[in-house]
Amino acid sequence: MYNTQLVQAVWGGILFGSVYGLMALGLTLVWGAVRLLNLAHGAIFIVGAYTAYWVVSTLHLPILAALPVGVVVAATFAGVMHVLFIRPVIGKTGFDNATLVATIGLSISVSAAALIIFNPEYKVVPPVLGGSHNMVGVQITNQGLLVVATSLALFALVYLFLTYSRQGMAIRAVSQQRDAASLMSIPVVRTYGVVIAISGALAGLAGVLLSPFFFLNPSSGFNPMIQALIVTIFGGLGSVRGALVAGFVLGIFESFVEVYLGVAWALPGVFLLIILMLIVRPNGLFGIGEVRRL
Amino acid sequence: MSVPAAVGAAPARPQADREAAPWRRTSLGTVGGVLLLGLVLPWLLVRLDIGNFLVVLLILFFMQAVVAQSWNLIMGYGGIYSFAQVALFAVGGWTTGVLAHSLGWNPFASILFAPVLATAAALLIGLPTLRLRGTYVVLLTLAFHELSRVFAITGPRFISGGGYGLTIVPGFPLGNVGNDQRLIYLYYIAMGIFSVATFVIWRVIYSPLGVAVTALRDSETYAVSRGIDQFRVRLVLFAISAFFTGLAGGYMTHYSTGISTSVFDLSRLIDLLAMIVIGGWGTFMGPILGAGIVIGLDQALVGIGDFRALAEGVIVALIAVFAPQGLWPTLRRIYDRYLGPEPEPAGQAEADPTVGGE
Amino acid sequence: MLEVRALHAGYAGSEVLHGIDLRVGEGEGVIVLGPNGHGKTTLLRAITGLLGARSGEVLFDGRDITRWRADLIAAAGVIHIPQGDLLFPEMTVRENLLMGAYHGPTWAERKVRLNRVYELFPWLEQRAGQLARTLSGGERRMLALSRGLMARARILLIDEPSLGLAPLATQQIYDSIGTIKKSGMPLLLADENANHVAGLADRVYLLETGMLVREGPAEELLQDTALLESYLG
Repeated sequence: MYNTQLVQAVWGGILFGSVYGLMALGLTLVWGAVRLLNLAHGAIFIVGAYTAYWVVSTLHLPILAALPVGVVVAATFAGVMHVLFIRPVIGKTGFDNATLVATIGLSISVSAAALIIFNPEYKVVPPVLGGSHNMVGVQITNQGLLVVATSLALFALVYLFLTYSRQGMAIRAVSQQRDAASLMSIPVVRTYGVVIAISGALAGLAGVLLSPFFFLNPSSGFNPMIQALIVTIFGGLGSVRGALVAGFVLGIFESFVEVYLGVAWALPGVFLLIILMLIVRPNGLFGIGEVRRL
Repeated sequence: MSVPAAVGAAPARPQADREAAPWRRTSLGTVGGVLLLGLVLPWLLVRLDIGNFLVVLLILFFMQAVVAQSWNLIMGYGGIYSFAQVALFAVGGWTTGVLAHSLGWNPFASILFAPVLATAAALLIGLPTLRLRGTYVVLLTLAFHELSRVFAITGPRFISGGGYGLTIVPGFPLGNVGNDQRLIYLYYIAMGIFSVATFVIWRVIYSPLGVAVTALRDSETYAVSRGIDQFRVRLVLFAISAFFTGLAGGYMTHYSTGISTSVFDLSRLIDLLAMIVIGGWGTFMGPILGAGIVIGLDQALVGIGDFRALAEGVIVALIAVFAPQGLWPTLRRIYDRYLGPEPEPAGQAEADPTVGGE
Repeated sequence: MLEVRALHAGYAGSEVLHGIDLRVGEGEGVIVLGPNGHGKTTLLRAITGLLGARSGEVLFDGRDITRWRADLIAAAGVIHIPQGDLLFPEMTVRENLLMGAYHGPTWAERKVRLNRVYELFPWLEQRAGQLARTLSGGERRMLALSRGLMARARILLIDEPSLGLAPLATQQIYDSIGTIKKSGMPLLLADENANHVAGLADRVYLLETGMLVREGPAEELLQDTALLESYLG
């Protein structure tokens, strides 16, 4: 006997979960390989979204054409960011400092650029798939189903890539033992670039697919960024599996809180959950890295 | 070859004296002179046409410099990557605003609670957070920022004012005086806050606490092995930083007779970050210099509008990567080379302990 | 084929190697003996690009590889088996081995080399799916050595093969290295004690506080127990 609330909560959970997972995937990959906390992740997200918007509204092309453009532009942006701001400080002691400040700075710059180029009005990005189904009173959009399918497919793809492909294994090698990777003739810095570009593509894709669900504006990247961070840490920094599981755990948790306690409790609820996790299990669900306890 | 600084090489005598008595570095004369100038300045400026505007700018500078210094204390010196600064400023501002507006308190009384609550909030965040590594601090403080922002916009009416913030906050009761006079009083209050904050931060940096902080920042394992309790040190810094930030927030609320949710805008955040990064990350004078530069440039490039945040972000990123020390250490080096006293012999200079960039 | 001239190298603030001259010829087994902390690991890291040289030259097959990136040096066939193994902990035995052949042209070629290594050390195949971090000390050392063999090595640089190993494992490791030497592979071995290296060495260098203080044919230096004791304790 299904009631509307339950279905709403479950569907919301699956949808949120897929979204969070997608956002966290790129972030956790970059952390694992480069030990970089990419605070520009949210910026790359809106680069993808705004590019798609521009393609649709200015070039009058269908969203299906805009999608790959958005992804490519986002990946390129990430690559350029790597070359200009990450690569110069790799291996230096001030790396953490410099990259943290630089990525936040860039993040805000992108937001400002979006403001200048597109003005603060909310933009509407068309969904790739229109239409929806009704299930005991709950609206399940086709775009939502696409997001879920894409997220799961990407996780599978990334898993296969990392496990079986030469480049993927190289990425894992670099994440686990950087010096040894060099000794295996793996070009470490170039691998970093590859990971960052892949992460950018993922963020851009998320941006294009998710922007139909909200009104795109220059500050749209900030929230997904925080959510991605939360999920990444919850699942364990550097763990792909963690990003997937944590994404769904947090997504379902937040969805249920929203449906049964109200929207206002969603963010505080997640906040409390993450604090709990950090106290009980600081490495996150599947984290393997060291966490300093004082 | 010289021994790495982290192994605690004993400094040669002249350096030891300088470090033991840091006040000898800054001559009392210089400080006195600056103070005197600060006291006299508003009286002179109000005589000019644009004088009032300049005084307003100075007030703005004082408050921004306080927040920038406070943030630099924990980020630059303490290595605590907290993004809660703006939220703490807001806590201070809202505290005094609500007390004064909704409860009718005298602003001079309500403002006392601004730093108190901000510090309390900081301790609340700090207790679970500061034990954990940097990445987590970033996340949790960002989350706090976001939570505060959402609460300020959507919270109960007496706080959110329907989403615009507090718009009717009483100003400081300074008596029935003319505009110019009132401005001068406001200036003195601001200058007072700035002076106290700067002095306290200066003392902290050059105290055993400050030395412990830089030791932790530069070589954590060594410092911990010498018995420095990292968590306690960070908590104290965090509290001090929040105290003055909250106080600045309180002042600005009464100065502007209101506080809006736009304080949470990212453009404000990048302003502050730019001040620290451009001025000199982890140095004492850096944020003060940076505050002056950012405010000055903003006035000089008036038509810049939205490009300001864009430029600041890119500049911050470039400096962080290519010139991480910022402006102040470069200026000091120029000063030392061309105007300063005879340089120490090379061996002693290399034994210069860890106080960064000073 | 490998030549080091006047190499100076070190870490921030201090120099560890003060002008090293050494060479390894075709098919030669060269041992660098020295107590811990005197620069053996620094030497190998400087040669293979994990550490930048301050001055001096490293030549391989006549090419100046001094400033080359570590991955390019490895691609040229200068294979470094590092101290402490530096295995990929979350990868299986098989995956670690495959990574050794990263530079190989095709997966087919990699499989061929993998089988060759399995022939040399059958137990590797038995443990193929086991995570590297669950292996014992001796097994890890073997894996590290085998991983190095997966590359098209032209010369092997091995850093302290017996470090932290029990006697039985120690013997096995040196036996394995002996087998490799017999196949004609040039070796540069850095070691702390002279006990097991007799069969592997053509020439020996003695390293003390960052400088090579003696050089000579293995028979000569390795028999001189008095000399060895005074250097190695």
